Amino acid sequence: MSTTAPARASSARPRRGSMSFGRWFSELGWRHVVGVLAIVFAAFPLVYLVAASLHEKGSLTDLFGPVSTANYSALSSTMFWTWMGNSVVIAVATSIGTVLMGAAAAYAFSRYRFSGRRVGLTSLLIIQMFPQMLAFVAIFLLLISLGDVIPALGLNSKVALICVYLGGALGVNTFLMYGFFNTVPRELDEAAKIDGATHAQIYWTIILRLVAPVLAVVGLLSFISTFGEFIIARSVLQSEDNWTLAVGLYGWVSSLLEANWGLFAAGAVIATLPVLALFLYLQKYIVGGLTAGAVKG
Amino acid sequence: MPTVKSPRAAQGAPPRATDPEPPVRSDDSHARNVRPGFLVKLVLIGIIDAVGVYCVLAAWNAQAYWILAAMLVLLVAANWVYFTRRALALKYILPGLAFLLVFQIFVVFYTGFVAFTNYGDGHNGTKQQAVDALLVQDEKRVDGSPAYPLTVVEQGATLGFAVIDPDGAALVGSADEPLAPDSSATVESNRITAVDGWTVLSRQEILAQQQAITALRVPISDDAADGSIRTQDARVGYVFKSVLTYDPDAGTMTDAETGLVYSPNSHGQFQAPDGSVLPVGWRVSVGFENFTTAFSDARYAKPFVQILVWTFAFAILSVVTTFLLGLFLAMTFNDARMRGRKVYRMLMILPYAIPGFVAALLWSGMLNRRFGLINNLFFGGAEIPWLTDPWLAKFSVLFVNLWLGFPYMFLICTGALQSLPGDVMEAAKIDGAGRWRTWRSVIMPLLLVSTAPLLISSFAFNFNNFTLIYMLTGGGPQFADASVPLGHTDILISMVYSISGIDGGAPKNYGLASALSIVIFVIVGGISAIAFRQTRKLEEIN
Amino acid sequence: MRRSIPVVAAALGLALTMSACSSGGSNEGAATPTGAAPSSAAATTPTDGGSLTIWVDETRKTAVQDAATAFEKETGAKVTLVQKNFEDIKADFIAQVPTGKGPDITVGAHDWLGELTQNGVVAPVELGDKTADFQPVSIQAFTQDGQVYGVPYAIENIALIRNTKLASKAPKTWDDTITAGKKAKTKFPFLIQTSDQGDPYTYYPFQTSFGAPVFEQNDDGSYKPELAMGGDEGIAFAKWLAKEGEKGTKVLDTAITYDNATAAFAKGESPFIVGGPWMLDTFKDMDLSIDPLPSAGGKPAQPFVGVQGFYVSAQSKNALLANDFLINYMATDDAQTALYKAGNRPPALISAAEKASSDPITAGFAAVGKDAVPMPSIPQMGSVWQFWGVTEAGIISGKLDPTDGWNKMIKDITKAIGS
Repeated sequence: MSTTAPARASSARPRRGSMSFGRWFSELGWRHVVGVLAIVFAAFPLVYLVAASLHEKGSLTDLFGPVSTANYSALSSTMFWTWMGNSVVIAVATSIGTVLMGAAAAYAFSRYRFSGRRVGLTSLLIIQMFPQMLAFVAIFLLLISLGDVIPALGLNSKVALICVYLGGALGVNTFLMYGFFNTVPRELDEAAKIDGATHAQIYWTIILRLVAPVLAVVGLLSFISTFGEFIIARSVLQSEDNWTLAVGLYGWVSSLLEANWGLFAAGAVIATLPVLALFLYLQKYIVGGLTAGAVKG
Repeated sequence: MPTVKSPRAAQGAPPRATDPEPPVRSDDSHARNVRPGFLVKLVLIGIIDAVGVYCVLAAWNAQAYWILAAMLVLLVAANWVYFTRRALALKYILPGLAFLLVFQIFVVFYTGFVAFTNYGDGHNGTKQQAVDALLVQDEKRVDGSPAYPLTVVEQGATLGFAVIDPDGAALVGSADEPLAPDSSATVESNRITAVDGWTVLSRQEILAQQQAITALRVPISDDAADGSIRTQDARVGYVFKSVLTYDPDAGTMTDAETGLVYSPNSHGQFQAPDGSVLPVGWRVSVGFENFTTAFSDARYAKPFVQILVWTFAFAILSVVTTFLLGLFLAMTFNDARMRGRKVYRMLMILPYAIPGFVAALLWSGMLNRRFGLINNLFFGGAEIPWLTDPWLAKFSVLFVNLWLGFPYMFLICTGALQSLPGDVMEAAKIDGAGRWRTWRSVIMPLLLVSTAPLLISSFAFNFNNFTLIYMLTGGGPQFADASVPLGHTDILISMVYSISGIDGGAPKNYGLASALSIVIFVIVGGISAIAFRQTRKLEEIN
Repeated sequence: MRRSIPVVAAALGLALTMSACSSGGSNEGAATPTGAAPSSAAATTPTDGGSLTIWVDETRKTAVQDAATAFEKETGAKVTLVQKNFEDIKADFIAQVPTGKGPDITVGAHDWLGELTQNGVVAPVELGDKTADFQPVSIQAFTQDGQVYGVPYAIENIALIRNTKLASKAPKTWDDTITAGKKAKTKFPFLIQTSDQGDPYTYYPFQTSFGAPVFEQNDDGSYKPELAMGGDEGIAFAKWLAKEGEKGTKVLDTAITYDNATAAFAKGESPFIVGGPWMLDTFKDMDLSIDPLPSAGGKPAQPFVGVQGFYVSAQSKNALLANDFLINYMATDDAQTALYKAGNRPPALISAAEKASSDPITAGFAAVGKDAVPMPSIPQMGSVWQFWGVTEAGIISGKLDPTDGWNKMIKDITKAIGS
């Protein structure tokens, strides 16, 4: 379905019988070569991580030892799976919230003309550029005060952490979606409006469906960045049973002297799985599907 | 707020409330179309109002008036926005905006506020806390004084101590009445269990008043200079003496031994006329001092230029390399005829799927000169100093960042390629444009328009990419000629960490760090704002 | 509608900014406490058996839990253990205590003391007659200006760890060590973690063997913020680093990190490694002997002693309970032995230490620790480590001239401390 430039351009050329190897290579074969190289580049350090996780003594320097799954089974005697659960809950909630709020804002910026629109859009991006090095001081104070009023928003609360992450829902992601919304022709809105649809109906039933790919991308990006974030999570989530995976993993190696590389490596390997699963699930939305053809109307 | 909601809902024609510009439609069809959506809205706002009112009441109870005010403003804003026919755009922006204001804008303003204080080591809390800390640090047990087995007793609302002195005599006293012998005391196994006129407190009662008990000082004689009994565990008392006394009215500390009077100075410390200061200070506002000290330390002048140049080089090169690689791969896998694209794509985002600090730690191990996998596997054991040679270290930082960052660009570009209008491609094809020309003059400009803002934020992110530098090289290798602990791969933000001591190499100074991060923000924000202006032009040209 | 966004945004922003200032302001001293802190603090003060919050790290958690359970049973108090990363504790403690949200007790290292008192976040602990039950060096480490600020529980120091299969007897001097190491015909004659950032802590015994301690000391053993490692003794040590470094005999090597060193030793690639009890888990099932560190400069090689203990928060609302717990439940034989078993560090309580000495390894570390000196806890130490480390690494790698490099380091540190 995904038919874009090189594909179209080449497939449209006159065909002479079945493809020769040379032709196949120049059109498709080289892509596999690039693909394999890229995978080696991307995955090679992780193979190293997997090797470390299978090493009995667990060290990041000495890889070739007796293979054992001891590190993986040892994970269940730690809080690892609790952290995994926390991470998944927090990341899912954050990414859903980010998609909903970001898409709504992007829609407004794309479809309505109001004063301060340009400035607002640019400010969203620029405000995110503030160096976050001291954020923990302010967030800490804010949550202490909020927690006295609404316990669920206090320190050591997952809800509070999700809220902090949602503070960044408008930003780069909004911009990404804004660009995508702009590619959806306005004539669609107009037509629907004439048919008597309200702006809410247009938004929920027409536009959102058309921009599904970018929603999937933003959801994934938001999930990944939340999943790996540990600086804010570490200062907000105080007790071990509330930690996220990144905080917990960091704890295993933060002290060089008591570093547990074996557990750490095994944990890090498993930590990639939710991200991969989500990507696998979202891939069909991200690439393919509702693109050019549907929009053309 | 629910009270506001219901009359409005009843009075104003509900169907039209959500749609400001319904030019040509019969009221009938309009109402039919809108009602379910409007009900959903009513329910949602109802919930938000209920929660909001609860929060307002809670804030009132907790006497948190600023939170109360912020809550009220948010609540009123929400009701206004969703029940007015105007503010259409705000209906869509408000939810995200609310979170943004509370959790991001607040952070920025708070940092700005800290930048004008001396918050940091030695100025960590309030003046009262500093006074308490000084007094408690100063109060010392009298050398060689005995331990007194102690019982906490009470007479009406007056707390007292009943103790056994080294001679075995029972003594009773309170804050106002110095210890005096009391023959009525019952002593069991070296502890007083009953005294006439006093109630012996149970453990539970002691714990309920523990702050009062730890604060209680019972003088051992009429002369206050002899010291007084205090206890830390309600089991044993010792004789303590203080040298410092605090005068709450004058706000000064007096040293009884030297007679010096310490008064608060403008930097949040107690200072004596001879210039000496007491060790614990408190937070005060220091005006623009943090901004001036940041630029007056001559030792940083030379490394600063080098670091500034490298910061820009690092941020720009990181964006360019990751973008080009990501784009190239996105285009490569964007051919429908290619088999196994799903697998390729999935494996491609692996580097992005592990937390950044894990990757940095991993790479620093792999790049070790002697034991690292890179040298051993690919370079036949040659000891290439990836992380310790100034230029190679810069290269390694960029390389690792490329590894970390290309999946992001790959995803973005893959998404962006999907949104390229198909007719443009058709047009290019009909023109007979070659692969390279299509790419350069059609795809690239279109992609740049949609991705430029992301590239600019990626630039800003890398400009402040502290985690990577810190975990990979720690800023090293060190400048050989500088007198400050900075190195060839340090970027501005890691320099700020070092200057302000947040990395532990100097006394922590959050005030200075905040001031510097504002300066950095002005630099990055300014550059980005200019860049946005440029991309807008780009957009208009297309 | 056209102007609505900026206006509402500005209104909200203003409200929040002001609330920001007030919450900052309530930490500010003279400012009136408009925040919720006072009332809520009063509300959380326990009225029943009381409650305690203790920060512990993962290694120590179980051991403290045992004592806490006993304490709960006997007093009816409730003890909450919060697990933190040891690395985060100091900064978090300093940041959180003034807000009233910090713990009542935290585990910590003695060298934090200077910073903790400077920030007014710790309260002294009066050990009374129990003082005599602790190893003197552990009490000395937690003492500042005549006040004891913590209850010590463990002492740690490095020593020479020897693989008895590869070297049968303990070497006396540096030259003996290297000779024995070469005779073992292993990949490395001797292992010491160095890294590109340097490791002055591990190298300190060699430095002291040249008579160049880091700071001047007062008569009572406490440190003065005046560098003592300059001069001829320091230069002699620097020259030794260069001589044994990468341009010399190559025994010292910046490519060797903690990980490499322990992995190599575990594989039997060297008879000697310099290290502490924290390495022992990696060396399970090996025949080890713990020996004094060999002297390279002729004088005794004194490593740093680190003491770990418990601090009481200066803002604790439960100070009485906290002190009761520490003095009467943690300063006991059982508790200290449990902590010893959790972390392998010799206990600070003499009676527990004697019991632990039945293990020759622990006894070996404790014996080396007898000659050791506490790591300085004065705040100025923070400015020393980094310069010190990179200079040592630079000299070892041959990038720095030993004399010039060392002198420049002294100059830079002096300036950094003075500023």
